[in-house]
Amino acid sequence: MHIVDGALANPVVIGGAALAVGGIAMGLRKLDLEKIPAAGVLSASFFVASLIHVPIGPSSVHLILGGLAGLVLGWAAFPALFVGLLLQAVFFGFGGLSVLGVNTVIIAGPAVAVHYLCTPFIRRGDARLAWIWGAIGGGVALAMTGAMVALALALSGQAFFLAAKLVILAHVPVMAVEAVLTGAAVYLMRQVKPELFLAWGEAQA
Amino acid sequence: MRGLLILVLLALPGQAMAHKVIATVYAAGDMIEGEIGLSNGDLAKRQLVQITGSDGTMLGEVTTDDEGFFTFTPTLAVDHHFIADMGMGHVARVVLPVAELPKGLQPVEASAAPVTKSVAVAPVAAIDPAEFAAVVRDEMRPIRREIAALKETRDLQAILGGIGYIVGLFGLGFYLAARRKLKDHRDG
Repeated sequence: MHIVDGALANPVVIGGAALAVGGIAMGLRKLDLEKIPAAGVLSASFFVASLIHVPIGPSSVHLILGGLAGLVLGWAAFPALFVGLLLQAVFFGFGGLSVLGVNTVIIAGPAVAVHYLCTPFIRRGDARLAWIWGAIGGGVALAMTGAMVALALALSGQAFFLAAKLVILAHVPVMAVEAVLTGAAVYLMRQVKPELFLAWGEAQA
Repeated sequence: MRGLLILVLLALPGQAMAHKVIATVYAAGDMIEGEIGLSNGDLAKRQLVQITGSDGTMLGEVTTDDEGFFTFTPTLAVDHHFIADMGMGHVARVVLPVAELPKGLQPVEASAAPVTKSVAVAPVAAIDPAEFAAVVRDEMRPIRREIAALKETRDLQAILGGIGYIVGLFGLGFYLAARRKLKDHRDG
């Protein structure tokens, strides 16, 4: 799910960088002291998840875990995922430094979106419902990421529907795996550490 | 249901995202040989490769074979940029500088002749230099491939190093945030 250097038009790269800077600034403001360790752990999981390739059919896929980071961190997913992406680019050449902004936006943007979509339900419902909402969050985040990849490519001149179809089709199996995994992780956290999904003030009350 | 799932999986394009594009080019006799693939082992089959100079002038186009392999016979002594847009954000881009171009840039009459076993056992002096070069090249090719593949393996050290960076960075962030909080506490 990383776009490589040279695939995008310059305005898209610059626009992505600007959006990413905004998102990271917003995320750092919202990152309270208590959420920092969680952000670090999720950043590390994201960093490692991309390295584990699971062969499916003729190709191989890997997890992204953007949805999980979003569900727990909200806006703070921006700095957390940015750090993961930066290190992936530096250590392994995934993506590239010039498209770091775009990659941050296409992965962290959907993460923030599912936070607003699903986390309220995870907080409220019982644990089994949390499982389902977690799974929805994981799958939807990935689908949105795929759509944003297609959009970035379309803005750079590729035909949108063709690109979108290819990208999203390629990710159907990952979406399924990621949804199950995110659901399971959310269920576990909801059981053993429910305050992870609450804002700090609520957790204290 | 399962049949449908298998169908969907089989219908998937042969490449998924988030794989690094690997492209190598090197001079081979009078030609330039190159290979394009993805880091997960998929090869760029029947892929159009555009060759341009440093200033963007088009030098030619070639198509890879079923193993992501292509050859191009250079005619100009300029840097050769090889660009292959594989779609979905995968763009292979690799440069062969002038210094690494084949010696003697004139187009040649024939590419390397098929090498027979008897050549390898013949006395060294009897071997046509061009054939000898072709033999060496053929022997080197798997090694080149392995080196290219080796460059892509991610070792545990790098992964642990990355995790270390993350721990350190967030630890630093935690320290700064905690210090600010303590200060607020003391002041307020």
